Order: sequence, then C-alpha cells, then structure tokens
Amino acid sequence: MKYVIAFDTATEHIAIGLAAIDEPGQTLRIVAERDFSAPRAALGALLPAVRDLVGESGITMEQLGVVAVGRGPGSFTGVRIGVASAKGLAHGLGVPLVGSGTLDAVAWRFSTHEGLLGVVGDAMRGEVYPALFRCASGRCVRLEEDRAEKPALTVERWRSRLDEPVLLTGNGLAKYAGVFVEALGDVATVADTALWTPTGASLIAAASIQTGPSSLASVLGLDAAAAYERADPGALLPVYTRLSDAEEAEKLRQDPVPSSGVLGPEGEQRA
Amino acid sequence: MRPTTRAMTLDDIEDVMAIERVSFPVPWSEGQFRDELRRQGEGRRWMVAEKDGVLVGFGGVAIFGDEAHVMDLAVLPAHRGRGIGRDLLLTLMRQAVAGGATRLTLEVRPANSAARALYASVGFVEAGLRPGYYSDTGEDALILWTPELDASALDAVAAADAAQDLVLAIETSCDESAAAVMRGGTELLSSVVASQVDFHARFGGVVPEIASRKHTEAIVAVVDEALVEAGIGLGDLTSLAVTHGPGLIGALVVGVAYAKGLALATGLPLVGVNHLEGHIFANKLADPGLEPPLIALVVSGGHTALVHVPEWGVYHTLGQTLDDAAGEAFDKVAKLLGLGYPGGPAISRLALEGDPAAIAFPRAMMRSGNYDFSLSGLKTAVITYVEAEKRAGREISNPDLAASFQAAVIDVQVAKAVRAAEEHGVKAFCLAGGVAANAALREGLRDAMSERGIRFSVPGFDLCTDNAAMIAAAAHFRLRRGSFLGLDAEAVAGLRL
Repeated sequence: MKYVIAFDTATEHIAIGLAAIDEPGQTLRIVAERDFSAPRAALGALLPAVRDLVGESGITMEQLGVVAVGRGPGSFTGVRIGVASAKGLAHGLGVPLVGSGTLDAVAWRFSTHEGLLGVVGDAMRGEVYPALFRCASGRCVRLEEDRAEKPALTVERWRSRLDEPVLLTGNGLAKYAGVFVEALGDVATVADTALWTPTGASLIAAASIQTGPSSLASVLGLDAAAAYERADPGALLPVYTRLSDAEEAEKLRQDPVPSSGVLGPEGEQRA
Repeated sequence: MRPTTRAMTLDDIEDVMAIERVSFPVPWSEGQFRDELRRQGEGRRWMVAEKDGVLVGFGGVAIFGDEAHVMDLAVLPAHRGRGIGRDLLLTLMRQAVAGGATRLTLEVRPANSAARALYASVGFVEAGLRPGYYSDTGEDALILWTPELDASALDAVAAADAAQDLVLAIETSCDESAAAVMRGGTELLSSVVASQVDFHARFGGVVPEIASRKHTEAIVAVVDEALVEAGIGLGDLTSLAVTHGPGLIGALVVGVAYAKGLALATGLPLVGVNHLEGHIFANKLADPGLEPPLIALVVSGGHTALVHVPEWGVYHTLGQTLDDAAGEAFDKVAKLLGLGYPGGPAISRLALEGDPAAIAFPRAMMRSGNYDFSLSGLKTAVITYVEAEKRAGREISNPDLAASFQAAVIDVQVAKAVRAAEEHGVKAFCLAGGVAANAALREGLRDAMSERGIRFSVPGFDLCTDNAAMIAAAAHFRLRRGSFLGLDAEAVAGLRL
C-alpha cells in the first residue's frame, strides 16, 4: 500500500494530510490529518509534525509514494517553506511531487456546500488573493485564475457577476470581511473563522482533482519511475501571482499604466 | 595499531579495577563491577578498549527506556589523549542507541576539563547541576545531555573519524544555489554552483525575493548534478549539510527547508554550517597544511570580519564592518561610475590602469584602536569627490578613481589584518570570501604577511565566491564534533560564528 503525504504552509496555519492510495481504482482514503496555527514558525514546525503524523499512523517514510504540496498563493516565504520542504522530501524518497492551489484547499473545506464560494486569501500590502468556486454535489470547481488585487477591485468584479448568494471564506477576511459584506450586501455570508484555512483532508481533496503537469491525477496508477518522471520534484513551483517588488517597480518605470498584478482578468500574463 | 573495542567480561575485572583506581578519587568497588556485568546485555553495555593486547580503557552505559546513562569511562593515564576515550564513548553511544536510547546523559566534575572536552566533542551539552554530588569533595556535578541521537548520526560521526564520511552540502545563503559532494572532508567529488548574478545585475545588487525564487527553482537540479558528477546516489551518503546562516533569510530558508526534507526522507543526519566558517574552511581545502592558531579576514558582498581562530571550531570575531560590507562598497562605487554589477571585478580591472595615489580618500577607522571597519564614509567621500569635480567642470579619470578607492579599502584591511596577526602572535593568516578574489587585496596581504614570516593562505577564485565545497569541508569538522540539526531547525539570518 502506498500513501500520499500532503502539506500546506501558505497561510499562518500548517495543514498536513496522509491518505492511502487504495487499489484498484486509485481512490484516496484519508488516514490521518492535522492542522494547527504556526505564525512565522512553519520552517521549524512543519517537518517534525509530518514525521510524527506518519509515525503515529504506523507508516514508514518508504511507504510514501507521492508528496503533495500547497503551491499558494500566500505568504511568499510561507509557500516556499512548504514547497522547498516538499522538494527535499520527494527528491529524497525518489517519488513524484504534485501540487494543489492553496485557495482550492480552502475551498474544499466546503465540499458539502451548494452554491458559490468566494475564497479571499490575505496577500498583504492592502491586497487579497481572491478566487471564486462553485460547489455542487460534493465538489468545488474553480471559476477564475489566481491573482493579487485590491479588495475593492475584487468586490467590483464579483458584484457584476453575482446574482445568487455567495459564501465567503479565507484568511483575507480578517482584514477585509467588512469591505466584502458592505459591497455585496445580503447575498454574502461569512464562514466561521475556523474554516478559513486548509486542512490535510481538504488539501488532498483539492489536489486529487487538479489536472495537468505536476498533478496528482497525472501520476496515480503509473509505476514509480514513470510517476517520478511525470512529476519531477524539480519541476513544481510556487504560485506567487506577483513579481518581486524590484521587478514590479521596474515594470512601473517601463510601463506608466499601473498594473493590478501579474495575471490579467482572464489569467493571462500581462506583457 | 588502532585500538579495538569489545564487550567487557568478568575476566577483565582485574585490569578494569587497576584503571579505575588510578582514574578516580572514589573508585567503584570490584563488587559493583560484578553486579553491573551480571546485567551485561540486559540494560547495561560495558565495553573495553585494547591496544596491542593490553586493556587500556573501559566504559559502560545503563539504558533506561529511551534514555541512557554513561556510568563510567576511564583510560590508562599513559594512553590518554589519543582518542581511545572518544572511541569508547562513541561505541557506548552506538550501543545505547541500538538498545533503544535516543539521548544520553552523564555527570562530570566541573574541574575535569579533559573529560568535559571529550564529552563536548561528541555533542554533549551542559543541562544543569547536581549539587554536592561528589562525596569526597562535596563538589557539584555538571549534568550533560546529548541532543536526540539516532544510529545514522553516530554512524556518520564514526565515518568522519575514519575520514570515510560522504557528505552532500547545500548552500543558498545569498545569490548562488550550490551543492557539493565530499569524502573525508578533503576529497572533493563534485561542486556545482548555479549563479543567479545575471538576474540581479539589472537591479545593481542582489534582490532577496528574486534570490529566494531562483533557489526554489534550481535546488533539485543543482543537487542532482552534484550527485551525478560525483558518481554516487543519495543512498551512498553518510550525511547531509546545509548553510543555516548568516545570510538573506528568505534565501537560507529554501536551503534549510529542502535539506531537512531530504534528511527526513533519507534518514541521513543533517549538519548545520555557518557560512563564514565555510569561507574559512575554503582555505583549509585549498591549503591542507593550514593549521590554527590563525587570523582570518572574511570579506564578501555581505560580510567584512576579522576572526581569530585559536583552534578549528573556535572563533573570536575581533571586529567587523559597522556599516557596508567591502563587496557592497565596491558595488555601490561601481554603480556610481556606471560600471555595472557586480562591482568588484569591474573596479579591480579598471584600477589596474589607474594611480592608487591619485586621490587621497580617507582611511576610515585606521587609528580607531579596534578591529572594526567602516566603509560608508569612504563611499560618501567618493560621491562627494565626483560631484565636486563635475561642478568644477573637470573630467574624472575613472581608472584613477577606481585605483584610489580600492587602495583606501585595502590599506585599512591590510593594516588591521597585520595588527591582529601580530597581537595574537599567529603564524598563519587566511583571506576568505568573494572579495578575496580581488588581486590587489591578495597581493597586499601576501606581501605584508610574508614580510613578517606569517603563512598566507587564499583559496582559488572558485572557492572564494559562495560554493558548497567549503560548506562540506566545514561539515566534516562539525560531524566530528557530533553537532547536528534537528528537523525543527531554523534558518538564522544573523547567525554568529
């Protein structure tokens, strides 16, 4: 029996999940999960917790067949702690490294919800990482690409397309719940704060429906060598949505039109 | 012949008692040893060391669940100071760990400096006092504990003792992603450096966020290349090493997180190396005969420090820059002159054609009486000079300016280096760090030291700039000290030597 170990450190909350890959059918069964608050402490706290969760589940490191990690967006350093730890772990085990969006992992805490879900991650500097999802029949499907933008801009975009109730979640609400509720009015409900960050189970659920390169779906069922080649630990990268400050400043100098972020409304790279 | 260790039997008691009696004011009795040996293998591990058929030392541990207590350890006086105690102690530690212990403890007399040095050398640290523990003198006992140990960590220490350790080292403290594989602390099997300099050049300096992103992109490929070049796999390694400070915090985090992930996956022990110690060890790599006591001058884009090294592993920072690092000053002046980034090579190239005495720039802190440096005043003096000349409508000779600026930096460094070497009476001096690639600084120090009969070491250019070979060399030394990082280790931007 092989297992998937998954973790996310993009928020100030560490989420870790362990799932068995049941054959045949390659379905995932959550074996253990743990999440806890660790503000600015992910580097020290993550891997001891991973070791403990695996050990307490009676599983050896060698039984891990896939590593999955939350790629963000979130705190740049927080995301990198998760991704770099995952790269070391997957590289050392010789197993594929796959990813999931952090906002997707938050969304999947609401897989039993029916209707629209707005995830609002904290992007610092007066911005948020917003993403709309539609949850139905136990699945949450992403409706827009990751980006960083001013909350006022998100509200405006969402309001123009919202004619049904929306449930709001995400750690960006700590600062901006008021902005969203005020602008969206009665259609918006704010979820309980305990549901604003990923859990191990929601991370694995979100990872399991990702497609494309470095996705869990692309490696399940392959033999070890083919799986490693398909999702090499060197290939997976964080989702930042913003350039470094130095590059943003440079872009502003070259292009006097202020940019709202790296990704345009349809998720296309700005020139 | 190297001493061998084996389990103690009742037949050894006479020899053991002889060593016990000459070693301790209140020796154990023969009966106590007999009682202990009855439990040999069942919670007790008593070992002896033999050299040329003579029993020259012994020791024992008691294992209580996941803790073990070192009960006794002694070596015949004539055989002390040759590593027999260390061999025995490491053997006991490996036996204790094999018996289920994860940490070891012991008591030692505060006055017993030889024993304390031995225990420190395999990773024991002071954890408290047991008041009035010794009945003969009423002395307190120091309580020592090891950090959490595992079998692979002790195997790694033993491999390093035998110069058979195979270390993969990782370095991401600034803008170079580097990995190297080394055997026995000296035999370099591979050294790979992925430089990001081109990504930072257009910003005129290292952009920390870009550095962190590039490390994340490069780290796996750099390590793979180092392994392939060395012709080994992860399974051949005896330990891992990583730079955990000082440096850019976001950049360090990538290397430390990755290395810890690798350690958890492979079960290999992880050694944490101080980046500055790495630079000093680059000299030992380049000049294997180099031995302390010595003075090291570490000069780079991020550091400028004079360090007294009385013995390997002991570092006294005599002085450092109060503001800009030397490399930073070169970069800033190069930017002012429009020479591009990095500034060091550009300025030293230009200085070759200039007159170092053309402009009298200040020699800051030359007579400060201490070993600190200050470079921001010099940078200001250069700016002021350039502005004044422009106002006066005079054309500036860039070569003269470069040569005069460089001379002002070097004069202070050489003067302080010489004074430190003389004051501490060392016979060896080494120059380390990226700015050590500056030919004028190398020559200035070489001349000054050789005039005074002091051995001067400087690594080749490859080893001056950031690399992981130097981290691997320092790691070998750390391994022999039994010094490891746990999975909870942090990156420390301001890590001190």
